Amino acid sequence: MRPPAWKRPRAGNLPSRCAARAYDVRMSVRNLLIAAACGFLVACQSLYGPPAPPPAPAPRPGTPAPPPSTPSPPEPVPTPPPPPAPQPQKQFRLTAASAALVKQARSQSVKGEFAGAISTVERALRIEPANPLLWTELGQIHLAEGNAPQAESMGRKAAALATGDPNAQSAAWRLIGDALRARGRNLDATEAYQRANAAAPR
Amino acid sequence: MARSRRILRRLLRPLIAVVVVLAIAAGGYFYYLDRQVTRQFEGRRWTLPAQVYAAPLELYAGLALSGAELEKELGRLQYRQVPRLDRPGTYRRQGSRIDVALRGARFADEVREAQILSISTSSSAIVGMSDSRGNEVPVARFEPLLIGSIFPTHGEDRIVVKPEEVPPLLLAALKAVEDRKFDHHHGVDPTAIARAIWANVRAGGIAQGGSTLTQQLVRSYFLTTDQTLSRKLREAVMAIALESHFTKADLLNAYVNEIYLGQDGQRAVHGFGLASQFYFGKPLAELDLAEIATLVAVVRGPSYYDPRRRPERTRARRDLVLKVLAEQGVVTPAQAAAAAKRPLNVITRSSGGYYPAYLDFVRRTLRRDYREEDLTEAGLRIYTSLDPRAQDEAERALEQELARLDKLHAANLKKTAAKDAAPPPPLEGAVVVTAPQSGDVIAVVGGRRVGYNGFDRALDATRPMGSLVKPFVYLTALETKKYTAATIIQDEPVDVRLSNGTHWRPNNFTKEVYGPVPLARALSESLNLATVGLGLDVGLPSITKTLQRFGLSRKPVEVPAMTLGAVDVSPMEVAQIYSGLASGGFRTQLRAVRAVVGEDGKALRAFPLEVTEIADSQAVFQLNRMLELVMERGTGRAARAVLPRGLVVAGKSGTSSELRDSWFAGFSGSHLAVVWVGYDDNRPTGFTGSSGALMVWSRLMSRLDTVSRSPPLPESLVEVPVEFATGQRVEPGCAQDAVTIAVPLNSEPPYKPGCGHDPTFIDRAGEWLRDMIRN
Repeated sequence: MRPPAWKRPRAGNLPSRCAARAYDVRMSVRNLLIAAACGFLVACQSLYGPPAPPPAPAPRPGTPAPPPSTPSPPEPVPTPPPPPAPQPQKQFRLTAASAALVKQARSQSVKGEFAGAISTVERALRIEPANPLLWTELGQIHLAEGNAPQAESMGRKAAALATGDPNAQSAAWRLIGDALRARGRNLDATEAYQRANAAAPR
Repeated sequence: MARSRRILRRLLRPLIAVVVVLAIAAGGYFYYLDRQVTRQFEGRRWTLPAQVYAAPLELYAGLALSGAELEKELGRLQYRQVPRLDRPGTYRRQGSRIDVALRGARFADEVREAQILSISTSSSAIVGMSDSRGNEVPVARFEPLLIGSIFPTHGEDRIVVKPEEVPPLLLAALKAVEDRKFDHHHGVDPTAIARAIWANVRAGGIAQGGSTLTQQLVRSYFLTTDQTLSRKLREAVMAIALESHFTKADLLNAYVNEIYLGQDGQRAVHGFGLASQFYFGKPLAELDLAEIATLVAVVRGPSYYDPRRRPERTRARRDLVLKVLAEQGVVTPAQAAAAAKRPLNVITRSSGGYYPAYLDFVRRTLRRDYREEDLTEAGLRIYTSLDPRAQDEAERALEQELARLDKLHAANLKKTAAKDAAPPPPLEGAVVVTAPQSGDVIAVVGGRRVGYNGFDRALDATRPMGSLVKPFVYLTALETKKYTAATIIQDEPVDVRLSNGTHWRPNNFTKEVYGPVPLARALSESLNLATVGLGLDVGLPSITKTLQRFGLSRKPVEVPAMTLGAVDVSPMEVAQIYSGLASGGFRTQLRAVRAVVGEDGKALRAFPLEVTEIADSQAVFQLNRMLELVMERGTGRAARAVLPRGLVVAGKSGTSSELRDSWFAGFSGSHLAVVWVGYDDNRPTGFTGSSGALMVWSRLMSRLDTVSRSPPLPESLVEVPVEFATGQRVEPGCAQDAVTIAVPLNSEPPYKPGCGHDPTFIDRAGEWLRDMIRN
């Protein structure tokens, strides 16, 4: 079941989408009622306001941002509730240390030194174990080495960690697609590529 | 005349015959001894126990390591602070900057030359690094700490050093003290023997040896210590034989690697390479005059001159060695006098790295792939995941908390039992620490006496896991999609008729019955009755499958009591199955060994990181959120007093029946730790998981540089605040005990009546509008 539009975490375009949809049905008999209700909702919305997404915290090794879940009750808010806060869009980056190691791993991989490349990316992963970019990188080396099942698993791990970062998600699903295609599972691969495209930022 | 000549001839003939026969026999004997000693000498070069290394410390900007902590790590590797960097193994500190002359090192994946690294630090972290030319260095590593070796059953351990790695001073000192004529004699030194005999006669007993270094080498090969004349003769013949075949340099190098220099439990320390690590924790090439003199002093009698147990005696002998060196002109009197002022500076065991439980795990891992001889003789280098800092903290936390619990237990017993009851024996415990995302096992403590190589509880103590099993019951339920974290289940009396006709009637720990409770609360308060009901509903075979997916190797007996933890596991197995939770539903084989490298430097085998998706990420996220509630509100809340403020962790306590086993397993964003506390003879401890193992766990976690959990919320889930007791949805600030749980979208629990969001006009309008748009 699709969640109601206003519950879905896309705050930026909520009122406009609501208005647009309202426009589509304006010709119906119920148009007046809808416009009124919609206007009311928009008003409510602006009272609480679509929270501006905070700047994406750059993942720093050792100190990931505290999860948004920690209960830190602000001042009491009267009913009705604001729509659930949208998940801030993240953008994973590599730290300087990881970037240097990834660069080294790529040159090892090109030379066919897969074991060395794997162990180099693993060094970076020990520094930033929750960075999906590194898991994707590691999966790509496994794929180059011919270990498609492991590449797929790494891709899935990356996709899970990349939630909220369209670029990282897209890269992870592309890896999954490549790994599935390498195993001859073309149908599943196509689906994975579709997810990669859907995740890619527009 | 002729007659007497005939008699002489008649006498002489047999005499010649006897001489010839004797000569042939002596020649044969000489040939036999020669073969024996030559074979020994040549074959001996090849038995090299595998050396085991800890994980190297990775350095990079942002690493939470202050200048002082950095110096501590340098100290662990026995880097010496100097005013001016002169050679590898030294460092200099200038305010917030530390310049390190890194030693050359062989890592599993590369060989690094010695180099200079300048590290800038802030009060809490590394801010930047550069090389000697000022270029920025994004990442670098210290060389891995040698933590031990896999020596053969006869106990001989050594690190073989090449001639160029031996300081010339050591050779000069050995000759000056043990064998002044080494460079010129042919294996034996008659004048030294004469001098020794004279000295012995004067002293009225065996006081001084006249053996050459070659004779000592022979003696060491054949491991006999009886001082009989025939043995001395044999030794002398063999020494002469060796000298005829090999160069002085070969013999000296063999001596340096062969000679016995100490005992460490079952392990016999042979050769100066290992002795240097064993006594001073650094490579032989870096020893200074005082340290070299100490080792030369030990040669004379490693148990009599034991620098750890007999420091005064050893020091006196060292000073004597220094005096001889000055007399012989090897060093100047001023140098000798300065060295004699230095303390022995022998490292303690703990700083030298002695981790029997960890090595035990390494050995067992390798035995699957390698023959015993490969490990003990082939000179392999084994690179492990051991983090010496985490290991030290785990040992310290276990010892400190067990000492406290012992006192508490004794005091409690005194209150209840008779006054003359014997005090309880000391508690035992085990700890396993891993990095869950990579599966690295970073610390293993097998018992309280960490230096004691005995029963390894981390691997071999298999005990009922108690409530540690519950997360897997709940996960199985969540994965059916019939349940969410907010589902209300009944905590009510259970009566199960078993196949043998008896009835099983479990109780809650408090003996109370709680009625309807949300899943999240039932788990965080570890309610038994609710869990049994849930477990029977999802089915025991499903729970078994979940446990096995997560890596439980043995199949538990499928009885209802299984849902409360009647499943025997070792702490290491608990770490394995919990690491699947900590890494969000992906399984990674726990590994202590990262790579095995051959003597030639080629990697023989790598144990790469591999992951397998084993559980629905949505179910695992919901479960882990509940395990965070255990720490916020449930049986793990006592940890909050010890843990750093705001650190988000998840965990579960476990207690077996009659408080025989006290467990805690939990994880942060970067560490997973499992603690078991109990008695070897299985007697009750008087502690639950919360009052026993949790204390060790939280002490340990507070001392590791660990980070909060912050997994991304899957898109299919939503986080909602609910009242802890009832699971009803509330608004922040409305209920006193609001907690946040994660549930699938559109399965949010109803609002608590009168608290927050009653279906109002706006709600109804919204619903109505939505329906209309969809139509």
